[in-house]
Amino acid sequence: MKQENYISVKTFCERHGVGESFVYAMYEYEILQVEYQEEKGRLHVEDLPLLEKMVRLHNELDINPEGIQAIHHLLTQVENLQQEVASLKKKLDALE
Amino acid sequence: MDFIDYYSVLGVDKKASTDQIKKAYRKLARKYHPDLNPNDQEAEKNFKRVNEANEVLSDPEKRKKYDEYGKDWQHAEEFEKAKRSRAQQGHARDYSGYTYSRSGGSAQDFSDFFESMFGGGGSGFGASGQRVRFRGQDYNAQLQLSLMDVYTTQKQTLTVNGKNIRLTIPAGIEDGQTIKIKGHGGAGIEGGPAGDLYITFSIVNNTAFKRDGANLYKTVEIPLVKAVLGGEIQVDTLTGKVKLKVAPGTDNGTKVKLKGKGFPKYKKEGQFGDLYLTYTVKIPKKLTPEQQSLFESLEKTNLL
Repeated sequence: MKQENYISVKTFCERHGVGESFVYAMYEYEILQVEYQEEKGRLHVEDLPLLEKMVRLHNELDINPEGIQAIHHLLTQVENLQQEVASLKKKLDALE
Repeated sequence: MDFIDYYSVLGVDKKASTDQIKKAYRKLARKYHPDLNPNDQEAEKNFKRVNEANEVLSDPEKRKKYDEYGKDWQHAEEFEKAKRSRAQQGHARDYSGYTYSRSGGSAQDFSDFFESMFGGGGSGFGASGQRVRFRGQDYNAQLQLSLMDVYTTQKQTLTVNGKNIRLTIPAGIEDGQTIKIKGHGGAGIEGGPAGDLYITFSIVNNTAFKRDGANLYKTVEIPLVKAVLGGEIQVDTLTGKVKLKVAPGTDNGTKVKLKGKGFPKYKKEGQFGDLYLTYTVKIPKKLTPEQQSLFESLEKTNLL
């Protein structure tokens, strides 16, 4: 199945009811990449789950872009730690 | 089916104003939101309860009905009438289901209590319901296999939402490992891309070996005499028996590595981890009179 790999920032924002400034703020805070084609911003579909999560945090919990950047940073740490704990548990289990 | 006290779920008084309910809900939603609690099923459960309580208490109609029938909802004749009347309205109120779309999000998860009182579904994420409406939903599935199943590369056909998906499971996949199958999640909305399917493998180890990545571990008992004098023993590996030489004077707890006798390395065809054996010297518990006498003779030599 042929699939479009990019979606324009404009289309994304229209669908999700957020301002384009929100997406560019996520880009500014290095949460995701925005590529440009003919001076129009576009997003890679691989980044959509992450961006949609950020939209949910913004819309549902009233978290501003600065807060989202902090949350993103901490969540990355939490997920890394969870992986490390799981891997250490497995090792411990193997050695017990 | 148990009655759910939505007021206590949100921690508010029965006379709480709409604003107080909204405030309490927001506070708890921030605490339990699944996006803020990755891989935390308890938080997810709490979030659903809070979401459901808000769904009822923030909607004046639902709240009125809930307050009216309260704990007697099961016996209320009026409620039964209302229920019948709602059923007669047929699909006019065909709710679109749980649209709070996120990784792992499934169908609407309201309680039986809610469903029986208000029918299926709701408006999604509370009163502020901003739905994610573009990329299709990600699906999560779990596949259980035995350790021996994943010793070799497997081809399986899974049926997910009525679609057959041919799947190649590389040998050496880990317990708890998740693989992503792109584009096999929910369909995109209004031209959006489809979501992905995530399959998490649960590998059941019913062998005598412990596994850490591609390495296997096993404890092997060796007879006392062989530990002292040395000799040959036969050991089970995952793929068959091997003969091993035990060196004279082998200590209890000695570790031996059998190179390449471990588990296949994930996505490295033809490469295997190692098998680590730990020897446990078996001390005989019952001796024949002759053996007893021989040990006593040994003792006299000051060996033991």
